[in-house]
Amino acid sequence: MKLSSKRSSRFLGTRVLNVLIRLMTVIILLFFWEFSVRLGWISSFEFPPPSRLMETLIMLITDGFPRGITAWIHVLATVMRILQGYALATVMAIPMGILIGRSKILVRASNPVITFARSVATISLLPLAVAWFGVGEFARVLLITYGCFWIILTNTIDGVQQVDPDYHRAAQMMGTSPSQLFFRVILPASLPRIFSGMKVALGMAFLVIVAVEMIGTIQGLGALIQQSRTFFRSDIAMVGMLFMGIFGYFLSIVLDWLERILLPWSKGLEEVER
Amino acid sequence: MNNNTKNNRNDGNKLLKFSKELLVSWVGVFIVLIIWQAVVSFRIVNPAVFPSPIQVVEAALYRISLPVLLGHISISLQRVVIGFLIGALLGIFIGITSGWYRLLAKIVWTPIDLLRPIPPLAWISLALIWFGLGESSKVFIIFIGAFFPIVTSTYKGMNNIDPDLLRVGQGMGIRGIKLLFKVAFPASLPDIATGIRVGWSLSFGSLVAAEILAAREGLGFLIMFAREVGEINLIVYGIFIIGLLNLLTDFLIRRYIIENQLKWHFGSQSNE
Repeated sequence: MKLSSKRSSRFLGTRVLNVLIRLMTVIILLFFWEFSVRLGWISSFEFPPPSRLMETLIMLITDGFPRGITAWIHVLATVMRILQGYALATVMAIPMGILIGRSKILVRASNPVITFARSVATISLLPLAVAWFGVGEFARVLLITYGCFWIILTNTIDGVQQVDPDYHRAAQMMGTSPSQLFFRVILPASLPRIFSGMKVALGMAFLVIVAVEMIGTIQGLGALIQQSRTFFRSDIAMVGMLFMGIFGYFLSIVLDWLERILLPWSKGLEEVER
Repeated sequence: MNNNTKNNRNDGNKLLKFSKELLVSWVGVFIVLIIWQAVVSFRIVNPAVFPSPIQVVEAALYRISLPVLLGHISISLQRVVIGFLIGALLGIFIGITSGWYRLLAKIVWTPIDLLRPIPPLAWISLALIWFGLGESSKVFIIFIGAFFPIVTSTYKGMNNIDPDLLRVGQGMGIRGIKLLFKVAFPASLPDIATGIRVGWSLSFGSLVAAEILAAREGLGFLIMFAREVGEINLIVYGIFIIGLLNLLTDFLIRRYIIENQLKWHFGSQSNE
């Protein structure tokens, strides 16, 4: 995988070429889409053409849908819910995971409960959360927390358990105190795994947010998509999905960047169990 | 897995140790159930809103008959299996062809990369507008849930093949499409397996969501219906069934498809 300096200029060339090919593909696809609608091959009701989507996008940013609730309000509502639920899950799951992961008995005793709790599809808890807490913000944030919590918890437990025993022995041989052992050895060694769990959990938060916003609110990207369904506006649905995609992509870039800055020793764990 | 292989030698000890581990692992479950029952029995919470485990068992026994429940289960399973199979087959096909033919990858992966970050459930409005209220809209959402993780990990698997494997194959005179089927495809199977597991859990989640939001049958509908009539113990029972089904299917996929078929791969991994 290493690139020698001789090949790096050629590498840059292929990168530029790749971006060009990608851009061309998008442009050709958009043109093809636009013209197939104009020529009447596909219906503009089911596949609103790109020109129409542009108008809808501008309408969503200036007027909003439903009127007065602009795209920014939707995005902000979704961001706030995700951040609250995600932060709550992180704050609870990491200490708990470290506690469980340090003891073999606790790992075994908690395993069936955690496995089952993870298997419960978070969205299936939606009716229960609504029955308990009503259709409010609390139920929404709680469901995001639930979805993220178990993923971060299992990854934290695994991370703590999989710390190389040699690190342990080396540190003990050098006479580190228990607190030093924890903060200087175990925590840094398990952080990459915890972080990749947090990344997976963010994907989960995205999955859950769409469902929980579809009930009992008109603010948020999920609500926007739900409204588009009630009014049969496929153009609004598509623009809503576009926002969702951009927002998700942006957040994953931010997390990757944070990981590189905060955890330079992490090699980026590609394969993490969900 | 590592522990299992090490313990293979002494079977007698293993059985004893296994039964001890089993005991420890169920203690957690019992503690949770006892606390749950106690909280309700001592009236810390209202039993009508927060049913106890016994109430949930009652709901299971008297509130819904087994044939009705099995009907919901079979409809849900049908949807998820159809959507998942379409998504998995298409995902593996596109992942492999685009991993093999480089030019195709450049064209195909632009739209896939653009659509990938959109959560499956966000497609629900379009699915309903495109396919109507029938089965196909739900199957479509499940398809989306399965397709993207599987196509991504298949493509990744095709790109991460050890080049030496391909060279050895070529050295033995295997070329062209035969090299794809005899060397490249088997070499990427472990990554495809990862994608299949992720894809299955995503399709399952999408199934429940789609059924809660737009269905008249199935497990998701069952719990939404239970909420509307205010029977919370039935909701909890339904959630348990959904969780168990998810656990069971994931176990079956892992055990019988992935581990049995890929013994050679995982075997070599645990020897290292």
